[in-house]
Amino acid sequence: MEGAVSYQRFPKVRIREIKDDYMKFELRETDASIANALRRVMIAEVPTVAIDLVEIEVNSTVLNDEFIAHRLGLVPLTSDDAMRMRLSRDCDSCDGDGQCEFCSVEFHLNVSCDSDQTLDVTSADLRSTEPRVCPVDVAARALSLGVDSTSYDTGDHRGILIVKLRRGQELRLRAIARKGIGKDHAKWSPAATVTFMYEPEIHINEELMETLTLEEKRNWIDSSPTKVFDIDPNTHQVVVVDAEAYTYDDEVIKKAEAMGKPGLIEIYGKEDSFIFTVESTGAIKAYQLVINAIEILRQKLDAVRLQDSEESDFGELSAHL
Amino acid sequence: MLMSKRCHLRGAEPAKLIFHQEEATEMGGYFICNGMERLARLLVLQKRNYPMSLVRKSFHVRGDGYSDKGVVIRCVRKDESSVTLKLYYLQNGSARLGFWVGGREFLLPVGIILKALIETSDREIYVSLTCCYNNRYNREKGAVGTQLIGERAQIILDEVRDLSLFTRSQCLKHIGEYFQPVMDGFESENHTVVAEAVLRDYILVHLESNHDKFNLLIFMLQKLYGLVDQTASPDNPDALQYQEVLLPGHLINIYLKVKLQEWLHRSRRQLLDEMAKSKELKIDDETVHTQIKTFFTRNSAMIGRSIESMIKVGRVGATSTLDIPQNQGLTIQAERLNFLRFISHFCAVHRGASFAKMRTTSVRKLLPESWGFLCPVHTPDGEPCGLLNHMTSICRISSYFNSEGKVKDFSIIRVHIQDVLVRLGMIPLLPNLERAGPPEVLHVLLDGRIIGSIASCHVEKVVSHIRGLKLSTSSGIPDDMEVGYVPLSLGGAYPGLYLFTNPTRFLRPVRNISHSTSDHNIELIGPFEQAFMEIRCPDGGDGGRREGFPATHEETHPTAMLSVVANLTPWCDHNQSPRNMYQCQMAKQTMGFSSQALKFRTDVKTYHLQTPQSPIVRTATYSKYCVDEFPTGTNAIVAVLAYSGYDMEDAMILNKSSVDRGLCRGHVYQTECVDLADKREKSDPLKIFARGNDKSKPTSSTIDSDGLPYIGQKIDPKQPLYSSYDTLTSMTKSTFLKGSEPAIIDNVTVDGTNSKGYMQKVNIRLRKIRDPVIGDKFSSRHGQKGVCSQLWPDIDMPFSAVTGMRPDLIINPHAFPSRMTIGMLLESIAAKGGSLHGKFMDATPFSNSTKEVDGNEKSEPKSLVDELGPMLASHGFNYHGLEVLYSGVYGTELTCEIFIGPVYYQRLRHMVSDKFQVRSTGTVDPITRQPVGGRKRGGGIRFGEMERDSVLAHGAAYLLHDRLHSCSDYHIADVCSSCGSILTATVAQNQRRMMPNILGLPHAKTPKSYMCQACGTKKGMETVAMPYVFRYLAAELAAMNIRMDLKLSRGGE
Repeated sequence: MEGAVSYQRFPKVRIREIKDDYMKFELRETDASIANALRRVMIAEVPTVAIDLVEIEVNSTVLNDEFIAHRLGLVPLTSDDAMRMRLSRDCDSCDGDGQCEFCSVEFHLNVSCDSDQTLDVTSADLRSTEPRVCPVDVAARALSLGVDSTSYDTGDHRGILIVKLRRGQELRLRAIARKGIGKDHAKWSPAATVTFMYEPEIHINEELMETLTLEEKRNWIDSSPTKVFDIDPNTHQVVVVDAEAYTYDDEVIKKAEAMGKPGLIEIYGKEDSFIFTVESTGAIKAYQLVINAIEILRQKLDAVRLQDSEESDFGELSAHL
Repeated sequence: MLMSKRCHLRGAEPAKLIFHQEEATEMGGYFICNGMERLARLLVLQKRNYPMSLVRKSFHVRGDGYSDKGVVIRCVRKDESSVTLKLYYLQNGSARLGFWVGGREFLLPVGIILKALIETSDREIYVSLTCCYNNRYNREKGAVGTQLIGERAQIILDEVRDLSLFTRSQCLKHIGEYFQPVMDGFESENHTVVAEAVLRDYILVHLESNHDKFNLLIFMLQKLYGLVDQTASPDNPDALQYQEVLLPGHLINIYLKVKLQEWLHRSRRQLLDEMAKSKELKIDDETVHTQIKTFFTRNSAMIGRSIESMIKVGRVGATSTLDIPQNQGLTIQAERLNFLRFISHFCAVHRGASFAKMRTTSVRKLLPESWGFLCPVHTPDGEPCGLLNHMTSICRISSYFNSEGKVKDFSIIRVHIQDVLVRLGMIPLLPNLERAGPPEVLHVLLDGRIIGSIASCHVEKVVSHIRGLKLSTSSGIPDDMEVGYVPLSLGGAYPGLYLFTNPTRFLRPVRNISHSTSDHNIELIGPFEQAFMEIRCPDGGDGGRREGFPATHEETHPTAMLSVVANLTPWCDHNQSPRNMYQCQMAKQTMGFSSQALKFRTDVKTYHLQTPQSPIVRTATYSKYCVDEFPTGTNAIVAVLAYSGYDMEDAMILNKSSVDRGLCRGHVYQTECVDLADKREKSDPLKIFARGNDKSKPTSSTIDSDGLPYIGQKIDPKQPLYSSYDTLTSMTKSTFLKGSEPAIIDNVTVDGTNSKGYMQKVNIRLRKIRDPVIGDKFSSRHGQKGVCSQLWPDIDMPFSAVTGMRPDLIINPHAFPSRMTIGMLLESIAAKGGSLHGKFMDATPFSNSTKEVDGNEKSEPKSLVDELGPMLASHGFNYHGLEVLYSGVYGTELTCEIFIGPVYYQRLRHMVSDKFQVRSTGTVDPITRQPVGGRKRGGGIRFGEMERDSVLAHGAAYLLHDRLHSCSDYHIADVCSSCGSILTATVAQNQRRMMPNILGLPHAKTPKSYMCQACGTKKGMETVAMPYVFRYLAAELAAMNIRMDLKLSRGGE
């Protein structure tokens, strides 16, 4: 492998905006493969905890057992410790049946309705044996109220609805939450949405632009469904107000052609810089999601590198390792 | 019948219905037999009491001299029983009257009947017949008579005279003599009484007075001659104009009548037999009364049972006496696959089973006469196409009840109508009055009775006036009366004013715009009158009418011509028409919310969608019929692109994560009814449900101590479902779950109605999980069906850079150009706009053909896209619903913009788990040793002659050998080469060589040696591989004394 050119690059990340469940950052000096890999890992391979086994003791509700189990599974649980947890199938202390503290968290739900009003069974009724793992809405409320997350109030805020009970109906079950990844089932995916776009580079042909009347300019600007351009109120010049609002829909280019001014504008996507938008389900914080994803991506690359190099020929890829 | 007057649920509030574990929206109208919901099929019948002129080849075969022309009238009595009377035209100008008595058609010269009906003279008959012809009107518009009619009247009268019948009594005697043998119960009566009975029971039975019958018969003759002379056109029996419908109540009524008559005859016969046997039995005896009673009660239970079995199996015994087109398939099961299928059963109108076998397609044709009554879209394609139609959403059937729900008194109504008509200038028909015919005057027929005539110049005014009276409730003219005014024409339909008040007519509301003064301007019209009415579309235009024919009526809404199901297709006016037909079919096969009382029902098989949604794009009908109570699909984000090739040929890619989150998840509920006493005869031992005591058996894990499974228990295939205990042998036997997929016990109910203290009958409801898998069928609401070909991971799906959306479903763009389902594209755009704005979108078809409510002039007709596009653009989306997507695999922009948006998708009930058939080895036929067929038995799929040919053509000999021999009935036979027989080989027994036993190894098998029984030697025995059937053939031939010899040779020798 001598003489192989190293294509090693050092991607840069600049965080623009950060919230608990939302994050926007720039990823520069890399290419689409890395950006997409990051996106894919965030959606499908960052582990979280979700209810996986449900043992129903009593169910006299209108929904059948599988339906309730399925709904329980989709309740996002706080999974800050998920990276540290073991996957049940790899767990040594239990035989992979997911009953030990290293790989599972037990939940109990016991609700019965004895009033004439319809009773909502929500995620708030789920009682966790491990305070650090609980439904995200319960955790968020506990945080905002500054009280312990295990105690819940029956007040106005209702959690994620699981089932409704009428008089005489009862739901009692034991559920085991386990670690998993979105690849196996969507309930383990911590990402609501992860997307990235190429940073656009917009060149307005000012000379040609000035041949347009103000009315034409307005028309041209309005042809874009998103607000990318505007007219400077003073100079009456077309200015780019928000380049990133551009969706690569080519509407303005088509409009320019329709107006008989091809080449009025040129827009390119920068091949090496991406703007990521990450929305988390709340299972883990958005920034944690990104960090975990990078960590997992690294682990995967490590796994490739640690393979016996005799057998595997990575070709050009070895330069990256 | 559910919700009938005898039903305890009649008029129940939804709360009460729910309390009784019924559907809150239960509408009734069907019967429950053995737990099956059955309803009577609406059959098309010939319009009652209307003489219809027909041209049929089959009329020729009635006898020599018969032409193919005739006038047929189906006369219906007050009790709904009917008799069809036919008037045939003879080549010589005469006419014969035909009717069926006791399974035989009798043909009588019409003159005899005319004379027998009333005391009349030849002159009167001649004058009545020729009144429709006058020299003045020769070949004028509306003239139906020709000068030939006089000659024909002469022929008719001559025929009677030739039989030397001159007076009424002579005619009656003649008829009586002729019919005495076939009339049951008139053996001892004189001929006149018999003849009067014939006239009463078979001739124009809807009329009571003989004068009316005479007049109608004259009218029929005139119509027949009009048909023959081509001054009037034949009526089309396939047109809805001359049709009505068989209602369940009437069917039961006439069947009950026939059964009662049968019972009466049978009891009478038995009584007479008994009387003949024992002479001392006398009628006046006291004890005889009780005896007679016993005779009559003996068979009376049969009547109830036969009605019940008619509903249960839909079959009736005697058809000839019933005068209905078929004796099978009169009731059908109301399947509750989903709500739409269920309600469609009640709208379905069938043309009759006999037409299904006919090779001509003219009956299946969509005729303009059915406009507004039968849906042009909602008919299945394939075998019953055009025969099984569905009524439009506004179509209804007239009945014995008026709009206030009270029983109509037809005699009062008819008298009233007659009074009104006389006041309007009708000349009532009086005997012995010189009459006139068209075109001078028009006959007025009220429910098949000639009540008078109106001068043709006044008719139009009269008709318009009656229509006005129909609208007002106080006039006494029923609002559903049909005013069939057939105007004078040149060779058109036979003119006249035909009024109908009878039940079982099709009706539909239209707006009467000629009487616009009143607010009540909704008039009910029937198919007969519709053909001669001017009804315009409500778009405000004149529909291309000329000045002389202004529209008098207006449609209520353009969608009124569609059935309920067809009405649910959003923007179906933008689709190619067959696609809407497909959608009507598929809507009825969709998995949905079949029933809200699912928990309490024991249907044999029901489908249930776990997470249904309300469609974002819906028609006005959707909310009107509360389809939200029984939703049938999911709003899926659909991207139209060719991605990965797995969406070729109508396949579609589902997003696995969407499925994980519950997209289109469903269940199949199956109820297994176990009756241990079912096949048990008296001698058989009693069986009860019980679990065996043997703890070691695996039974105890799934079966409770009562022998039934635990509720909520998951049972795998071939695990025990229940176990029963035989009291005689004290053995417990468990029955295993059938099928190849696991099931969950949903519910177990015990039926204790006839168990005598033992638990003998249970219903076990099983629930099977049907998550979408590869091979399941889905469809949009535009006839775009497809099969799931991949459950693609979320991360591999294309995504939008702006919103991050990944589609739930990918379909191929090739689904659109040839099918032209623009409605689906519009639905996608509209649903996208609707979801962005957070509102439901109205997709009622033909909405641009209605006037604006406020009466404003319609503004410039805008294209739909121009209404929907700005909705998208206002939220920063592409005007046309396109989006830039990025490959989920590479993260690069896809080369073109992708059409993506939410479309309401239905999951159809056809699922692979019910259909896949795979086998390597398995059960074989015991005789031929070839694999059996049939999925249930684990059989294979036939590799037939054509398949063999194609493999042969490829030269794939090894494959062919493998399929047809190795994997089939491969057999090694021992053949004797000296005698050539394969049947004579027997095992040679003396050969018992001891193989040395080696320690630890299994016992060595001594190779069997064979000898030929015929030759008595082991020499020359050879083994030959052959299909086992060949040996079977040899054995079969041997049984017929044919010997088959094989000549063995080594290859090439």
